[in-house]
Amino acid sequence: MKTEDLKNTQEYKYGFTTDVENIRAPKGLSEETIKFISKIKKEPKWMLDWRLKAYNRLKVLKEPNWQKPKYPKINYQDLYYYSAPKSASEKPKSLDEIDPKILETYKKLGIPLVEQQRLNGIAVDAVFDSVSVATTFKEELTKKGIIFCSISEAIQKHPELVKKYLGSVIPLSDHYFATLNSAVFTDGSFVYIPPSTRCPMELSTYFRINASETGQFERTLIIADKGSYVSYLEGCTAPMRDENQLHAANVELVALDDAEIKYSTVQNWYPGDKNGVGGIYNFVTKRGACRGKNSKISWTQVETGSAITWKYPSCILQGDNSVGEFYSIAITNNFQKADTGTKMIHLGKNTKSKIISKGISAGNADNMYRGLVDIKNKASNSRNYTQCDSLLMGNKCGAHTVPYIKNNNATSTIEHEATTTKINEDQLYYCNQRGLDQEEAVSLIVNGFCKEVLQQLPMEFAVEAQKLVSISLEGSVG
Amino acid sequence: MKQFYDFKVEKIKDLSPEDKNLREEYLDLFYKNGFPNKKEEDWKFTDLNSILSKNFDNITNKDFLLDNKKLNFINEFEHNHIYLLDGKLISSDLTYEDRNKISIIDFNYKNNITIDKNNSLNLLNNALAMGGFTLEVSKNYKLNKPLIIYNYFSKDIKETIINNKNSIILNDNSELTLINYIDNKSKDNFMVNSMENIEIRRDALLKNIFINNSKSAGYFYKYIKSDLEKNSVFENYILSSGLKFNKLDIEINLNQEYAKSTIFSALNLLESEHQEIKTRINHNSQNCQSYQKIKNVLSDQSKGVYQGKIFVKKIAQKTDAYQLSKALILNDDAEFDAKPELEIYADDVKCSHGSTSGSIDLDSLHYLKSRGIPEKEAYKMLISGFLGETLEKLIEENVKFFLLKKLEGQINGN
Repeated sequence: MKTEDLKNTQEYKYGFTTDVENIRAPKGLSEETIKFISKIKKEPKWMLDWRLKAYNRLKVLKEPNWQKPKYPKINYQDLYYYSAPKSASEKPKSLDEIDPKILETYKKLGIPLVEQQRLNGIAVDAVFDSVSVATTFKEELTKKGIIFCSISEAIQKHPELVKKYLGSVIPLSDHYFATLNSAVFTDGSFVYIPPSTRCPMELSTYFRINASETGQFERTLIIADKGSYVSYLEGCTAPMRDENQLHAANVELVALDDAEIKYSTVQNWYPGDKNGVGGIYNFVTKRGACRGKNSKISWTQVETGSAITWKYPSCILQGDNSVGEFYSIAITNNFQKADTGTKMIHLGKNTKSKIISKGISAGNADNMYRGLVDIKNKASNSRNYTQCDSLLMGNKCGAHTVPYIKNNNATSTIEHEATTTKINEDQLYYCNQRGLDQEEAVSLIVNGFCKEVLQQLPMEFAVEAQKLVSISLEGSVG
Repeated sequence: MKQFYDFKVEKIKDLSPEDKNLREEYLDLFYKNGFPNKKEEDWKFTDLNSILSKNFDNITNKDFLLDNKKLNFINEFEHNHIYLLDGKLISSDLTYEDRNKISIIDFNYKNNITIDKNNSLNLLNNALAMGGFTLEVSKNYKLNKPLIIYNYFSKDIKETIINNKNSIILNDNSELTLINYIDNKSKDNFMVNSMENIEIRRDALLKNIFINNSKSAGYFYKYIKSDLEKNSVFENYILSSGLKFNKLDIEINLNQEYAKSTIFSALNLLESEHQEIKTRINHNSQNCQSYQKIKNVLSDQSKGVYQGKIFVKKIAQKTDAYQLSKALILNDDAEFDAKPELEIYADDVKCSHGSTSGSIDLDSLHYLKSRGIPEKEAYKMLISGFLGETLEKLIEENVKFFLLKKLEGQINGN
């Protein structure tokens, strides 16, 4: 038994479940479920109306099917749309009131909320299944006028901000999964940075799916007002189960004049076992609007988990001189599949965007970069640079690149390059010669391959990500 | 939306009842889908349905009109020729060759070309195609002179669609340089939808060149399916500027070892011209090579599209595949869209692509101007340098000279 346990932790060390009592919404997707969620969240009527509008829209929408990784049909009536630890039904006022079992969970995940309160300089919002359980460092942030809380809290306390920005980047009727999220989203983070404020610490949310047969639908809304700056981190894990769980989040970013948002993700949902059983379907909509002049949004993602990753964090560059960036590492091993990339829509003048995407494919996996660069007619003097590199390990996997490039302006320039290769044998030989075994050598080379992206991550995350990159590829060589 | 087409199988004479039934079935399938629009991945950047509905009132198909026209020969270099009028084979002339080694006959409709059921233009072609030719070159025969296919269109084809099929077979170790030449001065709108099947056997070499004599109000779509055997070479040069609408849909199957294919394209698009090149290179065997270089210069309200896909099968190790698309956009109303795609399942490969689009290099322009060359001239020089480069690999000097002259003419707006 012990060795078995050890093996499991080696493969996916976050695969445990926490035994806490849950409150669940009735199974299935219906108006009742939505009303239940809205009621339990004590939401005002306008919010419920908004959700119902999305639900009505959903009825006529069709699930998209153009993506490369195909999956069995999801039975939306067989899912729980709300699941919360019973102890959190009354929102805890301080960390002392949180169910110790949940605190223990986060400790196992390496996010000791209690200690973090005192030691580490990162403010954390932890989301357990459908609810936010703890937000740290609130006081210090409040002093600066920064709002960092769960979205449910924001709906109650800052309705004017939520009303103004929610759905302004990802409209209600955007596409199937975004609309589904709009109807049933349960929790997530809300960040507002007031004008001319630099957020003094990294803000971070940790997502955890615990209950079975649950979908997680969180919603994140970040607003950086004029001249402000914020760096936001997101991490995710889930227990090992042999069923596929759906995760359909919406993330909306709004950057006003001269503001900058840096959004980093280390996604490590359960990828399924070696034979492709179980794992998370990660169908996420992430979109940022550079609404103001000179604004900047930067996405960095390290995607190592999930059975299927299907997402395109995008930037809409509306303001003149605005900048969009996308740095991505997507690693797929065993039977994992990824169809990910970005969209850069240039609308304003002198807008710039940069895309660096590194895809690594091993085992029987399929890894795809799909991206759109669209320079519109009015976006004069705009620039885009795209680089996508793919690495293939073994001859059972696939690596694909599908860029869509549209240029409708005579003064704008788009450059795109992509390569697909395997690990250079000379490099491997060089490492072997210096006493590194095959696996270490591969890990070293892969880390070098990813370096450009890893450098973009905040320090604490970079170390974790680097380790993840090595672990994800373990056993894929030889 | 208004119905802007009306196609009837009855208009084709002398069909057996079975043929007629089969064609009716294809026509029904076409009517189910209609002309392609942006919802289809292969037409991501072009809504053909709406383009046609804006420019046509009622497209119909007709039986052949025999309006025999005198050919305007190209006299820059000696060549053999095939004469096609509205897609029908009228005559051929092989003055410079051994006639026992080449056969040119009407296309035999018993040998259907396999099609993709999702491609509605192929379905339409299967329903309505008439005419076309089959060209076969015997083993070990290398043609002395290039072969020009004169594609003429008669005067009375306003609002008409022409569908035809051709087949080209090069047997082992044979060689052929083919020039597809479209000539039509009519200002009336018409459509041409053709399908071509090319087989290049072991060690054979085919050069396929596309060029037009003049501007044309025609809407062209051509689907080319080619299969390459061991050690064979297939080269394409596309210089078909001047057509109102043109889409070349090229599928190349590198089925055996050491087969090699290249596609070079140089297009200078003006006014509201629309040109699209779609390629699908299937690396089905190991040690094959493919190379694509697509260059576009876009002025006025023109639009250029490149959709290229390299597909590498699991067994196709040691593949060397390259894709490059470059575009110069000279006007804010012009547009260039590209989708250079890689789908790779083998690990020991070298595959890469690059794509750029942007304005003309201002430093180069400044350099030329500072040497006393007027801006307009400098532009033309840079453009012809940019496009002319694609012909570097063509060995036939006289053909190359002719093509460069044509290109120059296009750049000067003739």
